[in-house]
Amino acid sequence: MRSILKIVSPLMLIALIAPSILFLAGRMELDQVKWIMLIATIAWFATATPVMWKDNGQTQQDDTATT
Amino acid sequence: MDTEQQSQQAQAGSEFEREPVPKNAQLGFKSFIGMYAGEHCAGTELMIGPLFVAAGASAFDLVVGLIVGNALAVLSWMFLCAPIATRARLTLYYQLEQICGRWLVILYNLANGVMFCFLAGAMVTVSATALGVWFKFPMPALNDLYPNSVGWVVAVAVMGGLIAIVAAYGYQTVAKFANIAAPWMVLVFLAFALIGLRQFITATGTEVSSASDVWTLCKTTIWKGGEPLPGQTKFTFWHVMFFAWFCNMAMHIGMSDLSVFRFAKKSWYGSASGTGMYVGHFMAWMAAAMLFAFQLHQTHPDQYMIDLLTEHTTGKYTQQSLEESSLTAELIGEAMEIENQLVAAGTIAEEDKKISVPTPLPGPLAHNAAGLVGLLCVIIAGWTTANPTIYRAGLAFQALAPKLSRFKVTLVTGAIATIAGMFPLIAMKLLGFVALYGLVLMPMGAVIFVDFWLIRKFGLQSNYAKLSGKSFNVAAFLAWFVTLVTAYILVKYAGVQIYFVSLPGWFVAAILYVVLSKLYQKKIRPAAA
Repeated sequence: MRSILKIVSPLMLIALIAPSILFLAGRMELDQVKWIMLIATIAWFATATPVMWKDNGQTQQDDTATT
Repeated sequence: MDTEQQSQQAQAGSEFEREPVPKNAQLGFKSFIGMYAGEHCAGTELMIGPLFVAAGASAFDLVVGLIVGNALAVLSWMFLCAPIATRARLTLYYQLEQICGRWLVILYNLANGVMFCFLAGAMVTVSATALGVWFKFPMPALNDLYPNSVGWVVAVAVMGGLIAIVAAYGYQTVAKFANIAAPWMVLVFLAFALIGLRQFITATGTEVSSASDVWTLCKTTIWKGGEPLPGQTKFTFWHVMFFAWFCNMAMHIGMSDLSVFRFAKKSWYGSASGTGMYVGHFMAWMAAAMLFAFQLHQTHPDQYMIDLLTEHTTGKYTQQSLEESSLTAELIGEAMEIENQLVAAGTIAEEDKKISVPTPLPGPLAHNAAGLVGLLCVIIAGWTTANPTIYRAGLAFQALAPKLSRFKVTLVTGAIATIAGMFPLIAMKLLGFVALYGLVLMPMGAVIFVDFWLIRKFGLQSNYAKLSGKSFNVAAFLAWFVTLVTAYILVKYAGVQIYFVSLPGWFVAAILYVVLSKLYQKKIRPAAA
């Protein structure tokens, strides 16, 4: 299952960005772009979370903040 | 990043705090690439990009200024911060403690914590603008200093309160969620840029068949330059370049990232910061800037402004020309001036003034481009970056009162950040605040640099606090304090803008530290060392 999710989750990122590329090329309407991005977003978090949810929380240093 | 590396990095904040990082805990180049790319795509990018447009930055100034400024930032990480980090392999705090003594480090922590609180407040402000799209309460304007509606205060209180509670209860959980959200967020920012570009092409009817056509569109329509919006500072190439360079000054020249690069095998790993700079501080800023530029392009003067301009300028404008014109800084400025004259003449009352400056609100901007995903991006970007910022501010404050629980300190810190977030001043003046944040912490970076590389060449002792047993190095404190006073005088009385004062400030701090150490340091017998 995990190995399937490892393959599927990057595809969701491609599904996330592809509509805006098609919109730039004039091949898709903005409303469609928004819907597909939303579906890809839900799918990304659903598939990536089981893969990436490891004990790697504190990856940022404790004494700086970013802008 | 493999599991072992992740596990090692997970311990970065909690291990080797008072000892050099051992060889077996050092990390490869890839670890730093991922970390920097994710960290610098934050909620505040959605505010900074539009503020460049509000500041009247032109396409050339913006693109070239960001390329050069970000390159200088990467070089600062590579040649100032990382070489010390990979030699000493100590945290910033432990290295500072050896140079400055415990009490001065506590003072530094206090300054750090206060700046973090305000920065987290700006992140909460950014997130709260997304709620405005749903709940339709009046949102703050570009030149507002104080909260302008009950709805806004409630939205910030809810958003900030949730962030603070989650940070206090489950910092690690949000940090894990942030790792998952990072690649998604980067691509949503990229989508903002692609969508914004297409919207400009459609709105202007431009034929685009080459990169040169895109550049022409950028120069003539998207980032035209010219006057800044009323109340904003005009940004030239130099402003953009110095801002990009010093935006994370606290980290590279200020040496905060000693704590990060102490884990790097080689000092050239500092170049990994380039991913953060060119993903977050180039692509994300440009994308967010494009969204606000499009909002301005699509906004036309309302009938009140048209009447004001046609009636009080002799033949300069017609109803038709203004109806077809996009809202520009020049038109707004002219209309405001006419209103002020009318108030001075007693024709209208002060409270009847209606001309307002368009405000870059991340929530509505992102919603117009990407709908619900845009709003989620604003909320998640603000939340995932405010979370570690509040947590770190809590850590900094906890150094002042070590007996207080981390939970309580984080909650109180979150409450302060939330109150700060209610005041739009910080987010709307974010360019100036970020410059101030770097400036305040920069002198200690100069002290560390001089202490590590140069001070022995002057016959003085490095790590003086450790060797002498002093808990407060007066020379380091005065170098810090006098540098900030000098910067204040330059900004307040010599007309030097805050964006430019940090560069001479670094040299002032470095020279002062050497001179004052010469006066302050006493000979230490070898036995004491």
